Amino acid sequence: MNSNQIELIYTALAECIARVGEPKAPLLLATLAFDLLIRQTDADTAIEHILQAERLTHV
Amino acid sequence: MESRDGEAAITLAEPRQVPVVIAGGGPVGLTLAALLAHHGVPCLVLEADASWCEGSRAICLSRRSQEIFGWVGADRALTAKGLSWVGGRSYFRGTEVLHFEMPSEPAERFAPMVNIQQYYVEQYAHAAALRAGGVAVRWSARVCAVRPRTSGVEVEFQTADGHTHRVWTDWLVACDGGRSTVREQLGLAFEGVQYEGRYVIVDIEQDTRRAVERLAWFDPPSNPGSTILMHRQPDNIWRIDYQVASRDDPSEAVRPENVLPRVQAHLDMIGETAPWKPLWISIYNAKCLTLQSYRQGRILFAGDAAHLVPIFGVRGLNSGLDDAGNLAWKLALVLEGHAGDALLDSYSSERVRATRENIAFGAKSTEFMAPPHHGFALMRDAALRLALVAPGVRSLINPRQTSPVEYANSPLNQPDDRGFAGGARPGMPAPEATLLTAQGSGHLTSLFGTCFVVLYFSSNATRPTQWHERSTAARGGAAALRWVRVAAGGAPDDHSVVDELGQAWQRYNAKEGTLYLIRPDGYVMGRWRGAASAPKDFDAVLRCALKDNSHE
Repeated sequence: MNSNQIELIYTALAECIARVGEPKAPLLLATLAFDLLIRQTDADTAIEHILQAERLTHV
Repeated sequence: MESRDGEAAITLAEPRQVPVVIAGGGPVGLTLAALLAHHGVPCLVLEADASWCEGSRAICLSRRSQEIFGWVGADRALTAKGLSWVGGRSYFRGTEVLHFEMPSEPAERFAPMVNIQQYYVEQYAHAAALRAGGVAVRWSARVCAVRPRTSGVEVEFQTADGHTHRVWTDWLVACDGGRSTVREQLGLAFEGVQYEGRYVIVDIEQDTRRAVERLAWFDPPSNPGSTILMHRQPDNIWRIDYQVASRDDPSEAVRPENVLPRVQAHLDMIGETAPWKPLWISIYNAKCLTLQSYRQGRILFAGDAAHLVPIFGVRGLNSGLDDAGNLAWKLALVLEGHAGDALLDSYSSERVRATRENIAFGAKSTEFMAPPHHGFALMRDAALRLALVAPGVRSLINPRQTSPVEYANSPLNQPDDRGFAGGARPGMPAPEATLLTAQGSGHLTSLFGTCFVVLYFSSNATRPTQWHERSTAARGGAAALRWVRVAAGGAPDDHSVVDELGQAWQRYNAKEGTLYLIRPDGYVMGRWRGAASAPKDFDAVLRCALKDNSHE
């Protein structure tokens, strides 16, 4: 994915979070993350993404 | 800074009529004055302040802006004083998340970006204007009324002694900034958006040996929750910008007792321990605003009077200087009778288009640097973390620095020759190349800025006869047409440069016989593969394009 596409997605998701509002943002993001994770080739890869995100929240 | 005392003797006492009045003697107004003087157009600059500005203000000059300064011989002072960027670094909390390099090589004419305080830019532009002659700058002269007429504009201004003066001008150019009196007098309003996020901007003096980089910290331990930018300036000055919380009162935020501890905490964090003192404090919020048109009859708008763009990406002053570079030659041609005033409509359409692009980029940068809502704030926090493990995300952190805008669909663009597989289309900035000239090693862009130029790529020293006689047509000033042969080898002379490194032939996608017509502001106006497709008479092309460009 090129930088323009990444920026497009970044903006679209930011605007979507704003549309649903702060209280519903966790639900939106969990739904989105779960949807993307079950499209991974295997569970190990999906679990690795989850653990990486968890590590990054502690930065 | 040097004194400007010596100027008094050449300041016009009370001119009744001048071809051009420039409202505003800031960097754009003074640069426009220098460019007009370079083209032989006298002008009067009216500046409300008593002298050059205080504080660093616009601090980064792009390569394009340095080229424009080169047209009036002000580039040497600028590059001698300015500090060239070598790159940039961004940090999230304590961790580096982006590092980019902007190497400038000795063979390059200008560095990609130079840090310099705005008052030096004003000083050098002012000096260039005075050197060229025909420019009068009236300090402490505030424009108070503007009366447009069919054949000109009556401008009323007040001087420091309280007297009111009137001057009649053929053309008034408003370069009087974001709070433009001229704009207000005409009842024109900006359109666009303003962002809530505010940045305090501070100049401090401190010795440092740190590299000249664009430095950014997101949520640093020194100022949790804030974003901080730092730029090294000449004279041991740091320019520090930091974001303040939306709940903070702007007038409180700029009080020294609130500013200095935050600066000290940050200097401590990054290990800059030398003694320091504050010089200037101000506050800023991002704006994406523009007029719909930069021409209202005989009144033209440039710089902040025409548009306001966010500072992130340094598009403010740089776009204002591009306005001046676009407008000066067109105004000169109109005043000299070489062009109809419709040419000035192309100034507006080209530069409004540039502003729209600058605003689009500036808005993107602002959404990252000063997130306008919770969605962008959350996404930025995520992107900064993800940048540690996903390099593709780092482009979001890049400040998207200014670059010259393409004037696609400009009425001046000639139909493109389909024979090109690359190079620069009509409407694009003419590419740079290192060359051998009769004066030694030089650069292609040094040929631009004065008049129209035909670049003729050929190894044959003799120009085809079909263009030989026409080239001597009596056109002077900015309307002149200069032929320059770009040879692949051999020796340079007064009419030929040698592309020893092959850069020009490659960047212009040239073959034997290729021709490029370059505008006085260094933009490509037309290009042709060779004699078969090229115009028989380039003077006729210019006459046609300049007299009437409203047909497209």
